[in-house]
Amino acid sequence: MTKGRVLLRGVMKSFGAVDVIKGVDLEIAPGELTVFVGPSGCGKSTLLRLVSGLELPTGGSIMIGDRDVTCVHPSERGIAMVFQSYALYPHMSVAENMGFGLKIAGLPKAVIKEKVAKAAEILQLTPLLDRKPRALSGGQRQRVAIGRCIVREPEVFLFDEPLSNLDAALRGQMRVEIARLHAKLGATMIYVTHDQVEAMTLATRIVVLNAGRIEQIGAPIELYRHPANLFVAGFIGSPRMNFMDGIVEAAEADAVHVRLNAATLRLPRHEGDVKPGAKVTVGIRPEHFRVGSAVDAGDDQAVEFDSVIDLVERLGGETLAHLRMPSLSDGVLVVKISGDIPLRIGTGLRVGVRLAQCHLFDADGRAVGASAARVAAVAA
Amino acid sequence: MSLMPTPRRDIAWIGRANALVRYGVLIGVGLIMLYPLFWMVAASFKPNHEIFGSVSLWPRDPTMDGVVKGWRTGTEYSFATYLLNSFAFIIPKVVLTVVSSVLVAYGFARFRMPGKQLWFALMVATILLPKSVLLIPQYLMFREFGWLDTYLPLYIPCAFATDGFFVFMVVQFLRGIPPDMEEAAVIDGCNSLQVLWHVVVPVIMPAIISVALFQFMWSLNDFLYPLIYLSSVGKYPVALALKMAIDVTEATAWNEVLAMSTIALLPSLIVFFLAQKYFVEGITSGSVKG
Amino acid sequence: MYDNRVSGYLYIAPFLIGLATFTLFPFLSSFLLSFSDYQLQDPVQQARFLGLGNYIQMASDDTFYGSLGVTFLYVFITVPLKLAFALFIAFVLNFKLRGIGFFRTAYYVPSILGGSVAIAVLWRYVFAGDGLINQVLVWAGGEPLNWLGEPAYALFTIVLLRLWQFGSAMVVFLAGLQNIPTDLYEAATIDGAGKARIFFTITLPLLTPVIFFNFIMQIVQAFQEFNGPYIITGGGPLKSTYLLPLMIYEEAFKYFNVGYAAALSWVLFLIIALFTIIAFASAKYWVFYGNEREDRE
Repeated sequence: MTKGRVLLRGVMKSFGAVDVIKGVDLEIAPGELTVFVGPSGCGKSTLLRLVSGLELPTGGSIMIGDRDVTCVHPSERGIAMVFQSYALYPHMSVAENMGFGLKIAGLPKAVIKEKVAKAAEILQLTPLLDRKPRALSGGQRQRVAIGRCIVREPEVFLFDEPLSNLDAALRGQMRVEIARLHAKLGATMIYVTHDQVEAMTLATRIVVLNAGRIEQIGAPIELYRHPANLFVAGFIGSPRMNFMDGIVEAAEADAVHVRLNAATLRLPRHEGDVKPGAKVTVGIRPEHFRVGSAVDAGDDQAVEFDSVIDLVERLGGETLAHLRMPSLSDGVLVVKISGDIPLRIGTGLRVGVRLAQCHLFDADGRAVGASAARVAAVAA
Repeated sequence: MSLMPTPRRDIAWIGRANALVRYGVLIGVGLIMLYPLFWMVAASFKPNHEIFGSVSLWPRDPTMDGVVKGWRTGTEYSFATYLLNSFAFIIPKVVLTVVSSVLVAYGFARFRMPGKQLWFALMVATILLPKSVLLIPQYLMFREFGWLDTYLPLYIPCAFATDGFFVFMVVQFLRGIPPDMEEAAVIDGCNSLQVLWHVVVPVIMPAIISVALFQFMWSLNDFLYPLIYLSSVGKYPVALALKMAIDVTEATAWNEVLAMSTIALLPSLIVFFLAQKYFVEGITSGSVKG
Repeated sequence: MYDNRVSGYLYIAPFLIGLATFTLFPFLSSFLLSFSDYQLQDPVQQARFLGLGNYIQMASDDTFYGSLGVTFLYVFITVPLKLAFALFIAFVLNFKLRGIGFFRTAYYVPSILGGSVAIAVLWRYVFAGDGLINQVLVWAGGEPLNWLGEPAYALFTIVLLRLWQFGSAMVVFLAGLQNIPTDLYEAATIDGAGKARIFFTITLPLLTPVIFFNFIMQIVQAFQEFNGPYIITGGGPLKSTYLLPLMIYEEAFKYFNVGYAAALSWVLFLIIALFTIIAFASAKYWVFYGNEREDRE
């Protein structure tokens, strides 16, 4: 049963001399909600439009279900799409908007009416069916755009940054609605966004794109815990991971010794495929620092450093402290700590970090080995 | 649109064929449209007998005869006089139109006042009012003023924003500009006239240029008003001189008349090619943004 | 937005003065003149009240009926043809092709020049007995036609001149087309609509505001056509191009029958007003105002 499966093989797309998609292989399982995420210009929207058929690839093939749809007209692919601007027909009522595709397909009026009514009920649009789009709020328009998709009963739903035109509160609400809709319909969905919160919360799997290539594919938590490279490490997680330049001093079977500014960290690693003298980057997420007493005294996997507080951003429940830690880095490191710890600019602060939570990247930006902790987790 | 997958090579080919058809249509229609113009320019450099003989553009015996005689015209004045005459009323007309349109548009767009809706509606209505219904009384009025056979009737009304179209154009342009900058200038201590001069005028410069260009073109083409107000040949603008030329030289010296026509079109053409984007902006500002 | 109504009125004062002096006063004067026997060469004081005399004379004036008929014929041919042609060209110029800017400029040239007397003069030669058109006809193996001498063709030459000036309507259509978000076309494509279907169900409805605008402008303009008949045909042959504005001009400034001319001009005004009112009244049934400003929120 491959209904709802999407398969991309070697998909490429160029606009003139500009290669926007540089060879993408991807399989999306039926019922998955896959999120394409990446910085603007990474090609995520283009990739979605290739799946939709609004753009034709310059190379490779696309399959939806069991069919090769590489050159099939968009309306014949079994897809439906929610546009960033919703793309509601302004001169048609909500009902007409939702039923337009079915009308084109030549379905009888009664059938169209029934399907539209059903979709409207799912989305609580029933009282609005006779309105024109301009008489709707942003959230309502969004729902109509989704309703238009539901009515078509597609194999695959495509969302092109659907929430980017909404304000923050509504965005959160619609995010939940889309998650519910996915749970209810169980359909395959591809969702494009540049907002990693949307990506993390909605996705079954995330595809991180950069400069027309896939950087990493994985479940949200997997990307967070084990970014495959510097790009993904920097992109997933907020605030951004701290990066520190270092040099490998020694490589053992289960650990790598990395020399930072004035300190040497012994990072547990399963395979030490870096040579002594190699330049590397150590990454530590802001939330993985602990303030003084929070570090277990007897934990030999943890180390502590002195720092000076440079700037404090209080978010309420938590606080972002910008710290100078000369032993680790010349720059300022961001540390996320509990909001109730008193902090004063210019004073010292002792922070600790568990070595297992440190990330290590080689000179090319690739993650080095897997941390011992992960190997243990996989073994268990 | 077909149900069957189309091989990709075909799609690229169809795309190219489509583009080719489109270029074909564009070039074909364009040529037919512009051919009379090319023909006119070419005819200016042909001897008379050759104009009747052939469809071709390239003169077999190129001659400046038509241009020279055309420039001299059949009258006691050379074509230069008529050109200068045209500018003698067009320049004040353009200046007055710009100044009055901007002042009035600023009043309409930025001031709250009782009765504004009514005045604005009346202004839009004047755009649709046929000029011929005003023509005769205006003529009688200017006759009473003793302005006949002067340029005054041609440009004095422009000092009073009588071309509603231009006011409307500037109002539309102003409506598209948030008043933040002007409010900042007010806080900096400007009065409304200073705001207009220091802030609004620079910002709406594109609209002002559009107004000036359109008024310039239209005035160059203006025929009916000079026809009824001007009686001495020495004061004729280009438009009247051309009409006079065909009446005088009918069926004899085509190359002269066509050469004069070519020269008469040059100012418009030059201005258009120097500032074409303002024309498009000007026309569309009234219709689409509104 | 200032609340100072005194300054506000000061700014629009030029317009108010102009409106009173150069528009409203002449407008009402011509209404009064239309009930008089006023002759151009006399002092205004000598005008005598005729009552409906001029309008009664008009009712039995064959020249007037002829002119009215020709005017309607001219407007009804020119306006739809010009709008259709302008829309077609705008549609073609809206394609994304290399060098399209060049074509847009070239297509706009006739509109810039078209109002000029020089073009009317050119037209006279293009359609003359041994002019360009007939030369092309002969070259293509056809018979030369007496364009300007044959009543059936003469009006056609003026129609062609104004069709040739489709540029400003075209630019407005083009801007209207460009205002339609491509998303809508894409959504319709996904909904399965073909090219023709998209044009008629998406493009045309969303274009109705600019169609309306262009329609009004072209109607008003066409009813006032003067230069073409005056310069190219002189109203002839056999008054086949004797449009109302030309008749008004000749009555007033050639035959000096100002009263009668004023009555004619009021009839022309009423016709234009009627068309405009009908257009505006019908707008709510066929013009769709999408108000993209709200959509953008």
